[in-house]
Amino acid sequence: MLPFEEKIDRLLSMPPYGLPPEERQSGLLDLLKDELDYASGRHAGYKNFIQHWPTDFRAATRVADLPFLPVGVLKANPPLCFVNPEEIKRTLTSSSTTSQVPSRVVLDSPTARRMTKGTVSIVRDFIGSDRRPYLVVDTPGYMGTGELGARGAAIQGLQPFASEVTYCLSSGGQGDLQLDLERLKQFSQDHQNAEVLVYGFTFILWNHLVKPLLAEGISLNLPKARILHSGGWKRLQDQAVEKKVFDEKLAGVFGCSADRIVDFYGMVETVGVIYPDCSAGNKHGPVFGDVIVRDPLTLEPVAAGGHGIVQVCSILPTSFPGHLLLTEDLAQVIAYDGCLCGRRGVSFRFAGRVPKAELRGCGNLDSKRSAKN
Amino acid sequence: MTTLSIAEIVQSVDSPAEISAAASKLRQVISAEEITPNEVMNVFDSWAKNLDARELDDLPGIPFLRMWLRRGTLEPIITRELGSEALDGGWTEFGRARLRAFPLGIVGHWPAGNVEIQPILSMTCGLLGGNAALVRVPSGLVDLTRILMEKLVQGDLSGRLTRRIFMAAFEHGRQDLQAAMAQAVDGAMIWGGAESILQVRSLPFPHWARVSVFGPRISIAAMDAGAWGNPNEQKTWCLRLARDVWQFDQQACSSPQVLFLERGAGRSTAQFLSNLQQAFETENRAHPRHSIAAVLTSTICQARASWLLNDPSHQAAFPIDPAWTLLVGSGVELPLPTQGKTLTVLEVDDLAEAISKWDGNVQTLGLGMANEEKEKKLALLAGSKGVDRIVKLGRMHVFVPPWDGVDLIRPMVRMVRHVNSTE
Repeated sequence: MLPFEEKIDRLLSMPPYGLPPEERQSGLLDLLKDELDYASGRHAGYKNFIQHWPTDFRAATRVADLPFLPVGVLKANPPLCFVNPEEIKRTLTSSSTTSQVPSRVVLDSPTARRMTKGTVSIVRDFIGSDRRPYLVVDTPGYMGTGELGARGAAIQGLQPFASEVTYCLSSGGQGDLQLDLERLKQFSQDHQNAEVLVYGFTFILWNHLVKPLLAEGISLNLPKARILHSGGWKRLQDQAVEKKVFDEKLAGVFGCSADRIVDFYGMVETVGVIYPDCSAGNKHGPVFGDVIVRDPLTLEPVAAGGHGIVQVCSILPTSFPGHLLLTEDLAQVIAYDGCLCGRRGVSFRFAGRVPKAELRGCGNLDSKRSAKN
Repeated sequence: MTTLSIAEIVQSVDSPAEISAAASKLRQVISAEEITPNEVMNVFDSWAKNLDARELDDLPGIPFLRMWLRRGTLEPIITRELGSEALDGGWTEFGRARLRAFPLGIVGHWPAGNVEIQPILSMTCGLLGGNAALVRVPSGLVDLTRILMEKLVQGDLSGRLTRRIFMAAFEHGRQDLQAAMAQAVDGAMIWGGAESILQVRSLPFPHWARVSVFGPRISIAAMDAGAWGNPNEQKTWCLRLARDVWQFDQQACSSPQVLFLERGAGRSTAQFLSNLQQAFETENRAHPRHSIAAVLTSTICQARASWLLNDPSHQAAFPIDPAWTLLVGSGVELPLPTQGKTLTVLEVDDLAEAISKWDGNVQTLGLGMANEEKEKKLALLAGSKGVDRIVKLGRMHVFVPPWDGVDLIRPMVRMVRHVNSTE
């Protein structure tokens, strides 16, 4: 057992959004320092990185001053790892929709356990703790064994809220996804007046459930459905589907109100920490993690209202360097406390991916001449 | 003829017809009268003086542009490229024949978006050959280009030169406008990354159009042990190198991305690297960034982390912010450039071993050498490995042809040969 495991458990058992910012900072700072120290002893390269950080992390007075890694380093293969090979329980891979190389994060048992607890703690705050019938808008085959992708990780992360699980998509002969309408209708018929949980990747929900049902004029009549979705909007941009339209149509096919739909942001790299939209339309970091939005020019945290690059912080992973990750996403800080929804701490909204196309010009080489021949 | 206003010279265009109309006007101007290199240089001289203004000091590339526009810089280039009598449009004797430069007509300029003064630099090359200039201004450079062109307009009281210029501002992706430009020109100077170059080259140019391409390259610095190990000169070398890195935010093809340091018998590079760090800090205080693209910040953070994670023997120095980065290690392999003032310093036993691995991607080799004989050997080797410019550190961006191994003015003129029939 890690010397700071108790501290992690203490934060994990707290209400996820109850602490005021100052108290949250001191708890996180202390624990993240312990974790950095531990990680430095587990990986020579990571130690080298920490040692070359311009300031000594032990003297840091803010989480924002701790050494952070860009999320791209998790694309390394073999993956960056703080545990022995025999301790690896599972490897998660990102969906890599915007780059060809997926991230790989390795989970040992303690990290996997914390991942589950972290997700449960956050989701419980949004939908309550009851188990209920769980409709997965995906295929059961997607769960697989061995490496687990982002979709599988999200599906699995919500299973603690399931009393039973129904998958309503199947794989066609070409590997394409097909809606199993009979199974869907049966689920709807069985649970018409019950609380049910629905999850799917955003583009899968749209392409493989909403569009086919709209085309056939089918409404599922599940007024108590709680619909969670994640995976971002990139793949729907080509179809010019806006969030408002998405919510209206999705709610329409389920026969519920649009306020029962929750869009959450999560990456496999931030195991156990997801960022659902609150009723005010904002996202929040939990007490066992935090979000820092950094000014690209100074890398200092932006003021409330400011835009910048998102850094996610989490005390949960100890099997890979996922504590302090600078993502490739942009966000705006709405406030550092006092969201209308009542959750404490920073509230923010995503503002898209860091644009890729700006590094161009006569001094920009991305390959060697000989490699092109 | 009336002079043109800056609003007439630099225009946002939205239809191919606007470009065709502008090209027709340019063609009328060049058909009506010639302009000699001397006349162009007179205007450029005034332009250089007008650019020497305090309010322009912080604009990127202004010192280089001023230096380039001076008669002292341009006169020797013109006489070398076009002939000793070319300044006033004369014929230069060449054996039993005589040669004279005539303009191609309209030269189109497709500058890269990463070097702020490139639309101007490219345009001046064509104008010195007596051509008209049809310039595509990348959307990010329109404001700066307007400021600089305003100073040209002020110095060209007769309007003889500015009447030969039309600058079109439009998005890179407007294929219809790109095609209209290509169809209207007799020559083209194309600068930029591989993707842009390929896209522009595939435009419908007339079959007679001459095309000069200045594609993506990187540049490298190298020092022998006698130079970096000399304690009396270390700081000076470091300042020169820092200036080369700072210009154009290290995004130009002439920007050094890597410094190779030849190992010296028993000498540690620690003091030199400490001086280099100080030089970077000094340069950053003098010329701090005022903005940065988020993707560059991400790239810099990625480069720092990967460098240190991948090899525990690697070292680095950088501030918290992305202002500058030194990545230190050893080996002869060239890493892919990060840009954004990120210099990789690699110790090698033999500079020649590093240079011998180059494959044509390296444009400029900036040298700091104490051993003259060794420098001559390295220059010969570098030339054979595709390097087009070998210069002293601190002068890597000095814009003097040949550039990328080709002249800058001559490719956009016709050299007419006259053999007298009366003899």
